[in-house]
Amino acid sequence: MKKPKQYSRRRFLAGAGAAISIPYLVPSGVLAMASRSGANDRLTLGMIGVGGMGKGHLRNMIKFREAGVVNIAAVCDVDEKRLAAAVELAGPGVEPYRDYRYILARRDIDAVLIATPDHWHAVQCVHACEAGKHVFVEKPASVTIEEGKAMVAAARRYKRVVQVGSQSRSARPAHDACTYIRNGMLGKVRKVTCWHRLNPTGGTDPDSAPPPELDWDMWLGPLRWRPYNSAYCHSVFRWIMESGGGQIRDRGAHVFSLIRWCMDADYQSPVSVEARGTATTKGRWDCPPEMEVVYTFSNPDWQVIWAQPGERHSNYPDKNKDFGLVFWGDSDRLIVDRDGTGYEAAEKARNFKVPGGGVEVYRMDKHKDYNMNHKEDWFQAIKTGKKPCMDIEAGHGAATMCILGNLSYLLGRKLHWDAKKQQVIGDEQANRMLGRPQRHPYHL
Amino acid sequence: MWASKLRNAHAGVSVAEEMTAKSHDAQNKAVDELLTRIVQGSDEVRTEAWLSAGEIAAPAVKPLAALMTDKELEVGRAAKRGLWKIVRRAGRPGAGQEKKAVTAELTLLLGQEQPIAVRREVLWMLSEIGGDESVAPIAALMSNTELREHARMTLERIPGAKSLAALKTAMKNAPKDFKPNLAQSLRQRGVKVRGVGCVKLVPTKKTNVKPAASKQGTSAGWLNVRTREVREA
Repeated sequence: MKKPKQYSRRRFLAGAGAAISIPYLVPSGVLAMASRSGANDRLTLGMIGVGGMGKGHLRNMIKFREAGVVNIAAVCDVDEKRLAAAVELAGPGVEPYRDYRYILARRDIDAVLIATPDHWHAVQCVHACEAGKHVFVEKPASVTIEEGKAMVAAARRYKRVVQVGSQSRSARPAHDACTYIRNGMLGKVRKVTCWHRLNPTGGTDPDSAPPPELDWDMWLGPLRWRPYNSAYCHSVFRWIMESGGGQIRDRGAHVFSLIRWCMDADYQSPVSVEARGTATTKGRWDCPPEMEVVYTFSNPDWQVIWAQPGERHSNYPDKNKDFGLVFWGDSDRLIVDRDGTGYEAAEKARNFKVPGGGVEVYRMDKHKDYNMNHKEDWFQAIKTGKKPCMDIEAGHGAATMCILGNLSYLLGRKLHWDAKKQQVIGDEQANRMLGRPQRHPYHL
Repeated sequence: MWASKLRNAHAGVSVAEEMTAKSHDAQNKAVDELLTRIVQGSDEVRTEAWLSAGEIAAPAVKPLAALMTDKELEVGRAAKRGLWKIVRRAGRPGAGQEKKAVTAELTLLLGQEQPIAVRREVLWMLSEIGGDESVAPIAALMSNTELREHARMTLERIPGAKSLAALKTAMKNAPKDFKPNLAQSLRQRGVKVRGVGCVKLVPTKKTNVKPAASKQGTSAGWLNVRTREVREA
């Protein structure tokens, strides 16, 4: 494997953004050199966050280890039970950590997979890049615009490959849809409508002491401190606007990734975003059960309408709890179930053959499992230096749609977006909310 | 407390009389109605009430803050959400006077007579709409160990020279253990800070979990052992 370019101590310190007293910062090995290839030219990995999706990633990586592609050197979680389960799953030779920074300090680790809660993604990704590690980070890439910008900047500055976990770009049904649309089979697509199940209500338990296995301070990380609450932690953090952002930031990150891929719009941003939604009537969870967000794009002109529940157009009527989207073209429409994963694409897209001179769309197709393909694409990008299929800049674009949708809902007003400056036009409060101060020392 | 007063109304104590004695204007009536619906209403009525709080704006700030720590969680939660509605509406473009009035009311809630939970929330509200006029009362909280981190982050977010100057002053006067926090804010604001290390990459937290035992089996931690026992059982 090609050895990543090393970076200087001075450059690292500049990236850390400050004049720093050296012994106080990081082990000298991290300062002195970037990561190296592992034994036998395998990529050596650290897994940060090994519950939920992280456990799935670990299973994938065990398969890659068995195939001789990677070493798994470390696993990390702030929940000791989850960490112990991951150690058990990964087997001997894998070092457990509670604090991800120990992983970043290890010279032998080339790359990290980050599957922590959303509010940790940016901090850990940027730190990993600064420490010379390549990164696979779960979606949504970030929870604020400022975080997303910092992630893109870190990836470019330290020349690290950062793949975002929107794995539908490595799935065949999504690829079928993308190829069909990009070859103009729907005519000009002017509207994409989404349907999705509602945000749940609940979270009525009072605050309490955290369970002994959980490091609550570390779980909160960059978030402002608050007392522990079981309705505000593993999995269910998703239903709190501050930490999870609801369905639009969870599945929305997948759906927007697919839309932007199919529309070849990874570098196009909406010019306006307008959201409305209902409110929860009881409990701590505060994401709107019902929601509609209209994203308007200009030059070319098109719209995305995210809706909970929206109008359902499923090819699979038995899956009444699921989600999907419709591309509305001048001459036809195409329904895509979920985010282009799990179900077959519509027959016309599935059977479509690209004509001579038509648009061929890349997709990693080495494995049956699209999750494995998405990681294989990341490995190839690390080896070749090419951008991965869901490079951090594309991930930031998708996350921007999630973030602006929620921001418009919270503020109760339409936002006009300047994509070049990445600012809301004429709205000081909205612009302050594009970033969020982070708790010491868990910051970018 | 508003909640107990309003509940006592059922027992014959007329809160409405007490309120109207102070003021008869429409705004106060709107505030009364808002509070009554939050305290006495069903979940749906309470929700409709806090959703409408933004239109009442500054006059509702103090009464809602008083409800935030109500023993009934849903009442406290609704009051907090109502306050946030006011803040989000007051910050809209072109609402300068309304924002000023709301900010002034919020700033008054930073005093030590208010519970910590209220002051903490108010700081974050001021981080969205506060301006120069809020800086001194926020900076005064730097000596409060329970609130100083929130105050620091609030000042970091409020733009302008005055908030920056307050952060610099705080840095000069801060105890050693809080200087790295302030250095973080100053760096975010583009100031070069010398002599205070950035500790963001220093690993500090160790786990009790041990690596999985090799085939020779010498290093299984207690959690691993327990997990294995459970599986075997």
